[in-house]
Amino acid sequence: MGRRRRRQPYPADAARALPDAIAALSRTLPAAPSPEIFRRAKFDRPEAAPALWRLLFHVLSPLSADSASVSFALEAQVRWVKSVLHSQGYPRRALVQLQDDGSQGGRELLLALAWLLARGPLPERLLTQSHVRLGDEMPVCECEALASPGPPAPRVEAEGSVDIRHLQWLMGKLQLRWRNLMAGQQEQCALLGKIHLYTRGCHSDRSLGHLSVTETELLRDPEGGRQLLQRLETENARLEAALEWRHRELVFWRWMDTVLDTCPLEASPPTFLPRIPEPGAGAAGLPVRELQALQEELQALQEELREAVEARRATWQAAVGGHGPEWRAARRALQVAVAQDLAALQWAWEQGKGQARPHGPRRLVRTEARVPGRPGLWATEATEALRAREVCLEAMLRQLQGQCRQELARLVGARPGLIWVPPPAR
Amino acid sequence: MSIVTVQLGQCGNQIGFEVFDALFNDSHCPGGLCSKRENEAYQASCKERFFSEEENGVPVARAVLVDMERKVISQTLSKAARSGRWKYGQHSCFCQKQGSGNNWAYGYSVHGPRHKESIMNLIQKEVEKCDSLSGFFIIMSMAGGTGSGLGAFVTQNLQDQYSSALKMNQIIWPYGTGEVIVQNYNSILTLSHLYRSSDALLVHENDAVHKICAKLMNIKQISFCDINQVLAHQLGSVFQPTYSREGSFHYRRNPLGDLMENLVPHPEFKMLGVRNIPQMSENSLAYSTFTWAGLLKHLRQMLISNAKMEEGIDWQVRPPLSGLPPLGKMSVNKETHFNTSIANLVILRGKDVHSADVGAFKDPALYTSWLEPVHAFNVWKTQRAFRKYEKSAALVSNSQSLVKPLDMIVGKAWNMFASRAYLHQYTKFGIEEEDFLDSFTLLEQVIASYCNL
Repeated sequence: MGRRRRRQPYPADAARALPDAIAALSRTLPAAPSPEIFRRAKFDRPEAAPALWRLLFHVLSPLSADSASVSFALEAQVRWVKSVLHSQGYPRRALVQLQDDGSQGGRELLLALAWLLARGPLPERLLTQSHVRLGDEMPVCECEALASPGPPAPRVEAEGSVDIRHLQWLMGKLQLRWRNLMAGQQEQCALLGKIHLYTRGCHSDRSLGHLSVTETELLRDPEGGRQLLQRLETENARLEAALEWRHRELVFWRWMDTVLDTCPLEASPPTFLPRIPEPGAGAAGLPVRELQALQEELQALQEELREAVEARRATWQAAVGGHGPEWRAARRALQVAVAQDLAALQWAWEQGKGQARPHGPRRLVRTEARVPGRPGLWATEATEALRAREVCLEAMLRQLQGQCRQELARLVGARPGLIWVPPPAR
Repeated sequence: MSIVTVQLGQCGNQIGFEVFDALFNDSHCPGGLCSKRENEAYQASCKERFFSEEENGVPVARAVLVDMERKVISQTLSKAARSGRWKYGQHSCFCQKQGSGNNWAYGYSVHGPRHKESIMNLIQKEVEKCDSLSGFFIIMSMAGGTGSGLGAFVTQNLQDQYSSALKMNQIIWPYGTGEVIVQNYNSILTLSHLYRSSDALLVHENDAVHKICAKLMNIKQISFCDINQVLAHQLGSVFQPTYSREGSFHYRRNPLGDLMENLVPHPEFKMLGVRNIPQMSENSLAYSTFTWAGLLKHLRQMLISNAKMEEGIDWQVRPPLSGLPPLGKMSVNKETHFNTSIANLVILRGKDVHSADVGAFKDPALYTSWLEPVHAFNVWKTQRAFRKYEKSAALVSNSQSLVKPLDMIVGKAWNMFASRAYLHQYTKFGIEEEDFLDSFTLLEQVIASYCNL
């Protein structure tokens, strides 16, 4: 009986597979650290933590790798990463308990990164965000802006009372900035229109017809061309790295299992199984937990409504008393009116639902003739969709203003000794 | 980004001409103490803001001229054309045959609605010539007839039609001893209407500018032309191009927008004043040299002692010691009082501008308690000299300095109103006593807000 010798894969290959996989991952993510950092993080070495905090910050940040995010101190980045992960439903509490100075927690951060990778196609999403665009682009919907977490806000200490004049000052400043922004956008549109007009016939692609700003700069300034080439080459390298990562990622996941094993057990078992959100589960990809909470809330509200309706109906029937013919006629008329209202509401909702709302940024192309069957969106359609949205938002605004007015009226009633002086109407 | 100017009445048109002339001449001033390339950038920036290009290359002022009489407009047009360097658009004027006899109500209720369409059409044409509209200047007097009533009406219409564009009214504050009997009525009606529809009121006081002409410029017989030229110099020193950021050499795209963001975001505090230093006749200029330290020291003291020029400054006025409130609440009867600011903007032009130290303006004692100097104070710079001044500094401030003059006007108007004097002139054309009362209420509120800083 000889000793059984099991065939193992050639050790050197196996040893290289993991670093290669991590290196591929590194090359595709923005600001990713070296494979060595990942290894040290598994053993919770302190030098690994800051690099991984920064990686998570860049991965979660809506701005892809630009100078603005560099200016945030490590502590601000740490706090922001914690809050964004929490709002996305990250289950491990050990992360939140890590110190704000970013000096520890390499292992926890690895787990967080793995969680993000498992939830969805993270490298591909990041690549789409930072994709080099040659055309002049304009968004036609707000989905991306609504779905992404906001940039880190400066920490404001709430100290004692605030002078309301200061708040009014800040509000006014915000409104003026909005107006200046609009003026700036109008200027941009006017100038884009001019460039598109002047470069008619210059583009090799007949369906586009004219140049974009980037393309015009390419012709004007060779240095700009070189920089564009560099950016395209960088993007290409990242795409290749992403493909390589997809080939090799199994090795990484096996290794992550060992990382998880080295962690002390949490008091409540964490749900580490990656949950990929259903498509259509809300614009922001709400985690399942939040959806369940919403569902429960809706059910509770429905119950409340039913009880309120029953109570009202009972008191009304008691008040009305007799069942004369005029009463029956009035009742029938009411039923007809209510049915009509409900039908109108239903119809309005169906209308809104049926329309495919345009999404995503689009390249601006200025054309004369309306060629049928051409792919793409006409400006008129986009404007109509936006106007419909504007009407909805204005209705919401009026409703909220009405609520504010009611609240004010209630407050006025509560303080009889106060004289309210409203601002002068025009 | 461009600014469209609406020149109203005799006052507005005469001043408007001087403003465009000053801006043009400065931007084409040879030298300017900077490189040729920078000079060209400066010129281009000024031109884009205030002038449009016509086929034969002569720049056309972005302006609409409005008056109820022909005379002043014709004079203005010909003065501009005579220079050969810039001009007004041929079709940018609106005038009628008769004046309005200093009657505010007639200007607001009759001329306004009657000519609204023509005037707004002219403005629309001017706006369409701009690639981007930053906002409007409206130059008008406060106390006259046509300018003030019509000006209030036009500003209101600009608010309705161009609600997102910024509006700054350049208001000429009349002489204290003015000739028009009802000037105080006109003033309060104008101010209260403008407060509701304009974003900023930049006030130019005739009395102050007159003194500058007499004491600093040594002009013996002061005409309106001299006054207007000093005024134009002050405006030019504020709105000519400046660098967009510390360390940048690109010119600011939207000075009007930036100025408003810094100085008038609060709806109750819209009154601005401008001070400029040094100001002197051209003969003396050649023999004077200045340091930034000296200029800024004088400018700061002018601000806190509410002086309008660099001569006769009261150096006794000091900011209150930190922690202590200024001596009691401001009483308008006190002679010397420390002028508390809400926000200040200092604009420096000329040689070695980057070495100028504006630290003294960041003293929290200068400002009201609810706004810190980091929010309240801003400085703009350019090393390109303004006109022939090797170094010049301007200060636009939102402060208590206009409270006293405002209070005086309101007081006098109230006294007349209490005895119902001359009211029929107004009620005849639809301005009722209610409107007067609303105006008084609004202005009293403004005075109170400024006093309680």
